[in-house]
Amino acid sequence: MSKPEIAPRKRFLAENPSVLWFLGCLALFTLGVTVLSEGFGLAILSTSMVKILGMTLCLCLIAVAMDVVWGYCGILSLGHFAFFGLGGYAVGMWLMYARTEGIVISSLSGAPIPPTQGEIENAIATQIFGVVGSNELPWLWGFAHSLTLQLMMVVLVPGLLALVFGWLAFRSRVTGVYLSILTQAMTLALSLYLFQNDTGLRGNNGLSGLQNIPGLDHLPQSTLSLWFFWASALALGLGYLLFAWLVSGKFGSVIRAIRDNEARVRFLGYDVESYKLVIFTLTAVVSAIAGALYYPQAGIINPAEIAPIASIYLAVWVAIGGRGRLYGAVIGAAVVSLASSWFTGGGAPNINLGIYTINWTDWWLVLLGLGFVAVTLFFPRGIGGLFDMIVRKP
Amino acid sequence: MTTLLEVSGVSVTFDGFRAINNLSIQVAEPELRAVIGPNGAGKTTFMDIVTGKTRPDEGRVIWGEKNVSLLGMTESQIARAGIGRKFQKPTVFEAQTVRENLAMALKNKRGPFDVLFYRRSSRGGARIAELAEEIGLLNDLPRRAGELSHGQKQWLEIGMLLAQDPRLLLVDEPAAGMTPAEREHTTDILKRAAETRAVVVIEHDMEFIRRLGCKVTVLHEGSVLAEGSLDHVTQNQQVIDVYLGR
Repeated sequence: MSKPEIAPRKRFLAENPSVLWFLGCLALFTLGVTVLSEGFGLAILSTSMVKILGMTLCLCLIAVAMDVVWGYCGILSLGHFAFFGLGGYAVGMWLMYARTEGIVISSLSGAPIPPTQGEIENAIATQIFGVVGSNELPWLWGFAHSLTLQLMMVVLVPGLLALVFGWLAFRSRVTGVYLSILTQAMTLALSLYLFQNDTGLRGNNGLSGLQNIPGLDHLPQSTLSLWFFWASALALGLGYLLFAWLVSGKFGSVIRAIRDNEARVRFLGYDVESYKLVIFTLTAVVSAIAGALYYPQAGIINPAEIAPIASIYLAVWVAIGGRGRLYGAVIGAAVVSLASSWFTGGGAPNINLGIYTINWTDWWLVLLGLGFVAVTLFFPRGIGGLFDMIVRKP
Repeated sequence: MTTLLEVSGVSVTFDGFRAINNLSIQVAEPELRAVIGPNGAGKTTFMDIVTGKTRPDEGRVIWGEKNVSLLGMTESQIARAGIGRKFQKPTVFEAQTVRENLAMALKNKRGPFDVLFYRRSSRGGARIAELAEEIGLLNDLPRRAGELSHGQKQWLEIGMLLAQDPRLLLVDEPAAGMTPAEREHTTDILKRAAETRAVVVIEHDMEFIRRLGCKVTVLHEGSVLAEGSLDHVTQNQQVIDVYLGR
């Protein structure tokens, strides 16, 4: 039994060939999209298509996080989109502030007397908050001038929220459907709070113009879209690697054991609550990073993004893709979200039945619901489970 | 022999039913102890109280030479303090391999970050192999625990218990579903474990208890009815009444 020690990384990848397969596929996909993109020259894929694909990669990343928290650790969180949204808001604040600052400075530069710092700040505040009837920068925006600080907020704010929420919920041993309801309540409360105009994040208007990156105005969107696409692919690759490493080995063994019988794990001496807290917080932070990459590509974020339904969709993606396997989550998120934008974006031709026309923008949800039921009934392992039929484990 | 576990004056009520009634038991280290009693005597509830699963309404549960109270501790803290438990119904992690089950139970640091950066050592591997050998599952290490037979699951759980290296083993019906040869092997393992630790065994099978050859505690209606050697307690008129019915 005592084999010589091999470096753990080599051993990890050798023991998990699906990780290498996934990373290879991701690299090929990234290369393919780059070559076919408008920014590269071939222009077979439009800039908006590259953006959609980049956003899809971000959704795949949060789906992987969801799979770890639900599929591996058994915590059906229906609130992870709250963290995704908070990540988007955090980076969006800098994008909006810095861009408005640039506009204000250039428009005031024509004035005979150079504007004071206070005047510039007032003008920025009026620009951003005029829409909600305010001309003062809320305290929340104290760090908005600094990209570094806001990027730290991307990690710190959702991380802290997850830590406090998780600590309270897990310590009280809230599990199962009660925890799901609690997480729904969290994302609903956050969404409703952000809908208010005086919250300091522009209420239902949300943050907009996020596709314009301050300091990079000279670059066309076709190039910027590629940069974000690459960043999203890199984040997905790294996130996948991190989680694949996390769920392999002994840690993975313990969290799967928690999923299957947490009381028994306690009697083995493991503090179940702290494991759940680590998983919940870590996946929340990764979700936030995915959100921070998603919204500059989407261009706009508003509180509707973190409505409870978003997090439910997330669970549906993972279920359809196959929970308990990371590539299943990626497949589910990619297939369902792309199909969703195809059907609801007018891509699918309407079917005229003579007496009734099936309009896919209305009927997509029905199709998704049927698909979900079909997968649950006939493929409980999801689309990813189909791989098991091809590759039988010895 | 020093007292390792002292349960004194403990009572538990479930919806008006007194499952444990002013129970007092002392277990020394090392010691092998059998706990018997008719159904509903409170045997399993006694283990639930010691392992922190059930909180008693009154009484004290004192542990170790520092006389720590177990009542304020969580299940996992109690387990880390050195109390291992085998359940009546074998509860192993069926979706995982025998090796993973044993590795999880192996005595190591239990914190999330300790486990995350835990590196499989050849010493750990050797210990797993040694345990697997002892429980007759050496060739089944890569198999999923769910594929094992009922008896093998019992073995695996005993192996996990030994892997934890606890000071006190609470073993609930270890021989259920085993063949006579397997029962004999189980007695050997328990007796060997009891050379250095405290072992408390709940069992219905008198033959099994006779083979253990240890002090016996008879529970009835949540409290101790008799204590002593098996011959001593089986001659006790009260015990005979309880078992045969008045």
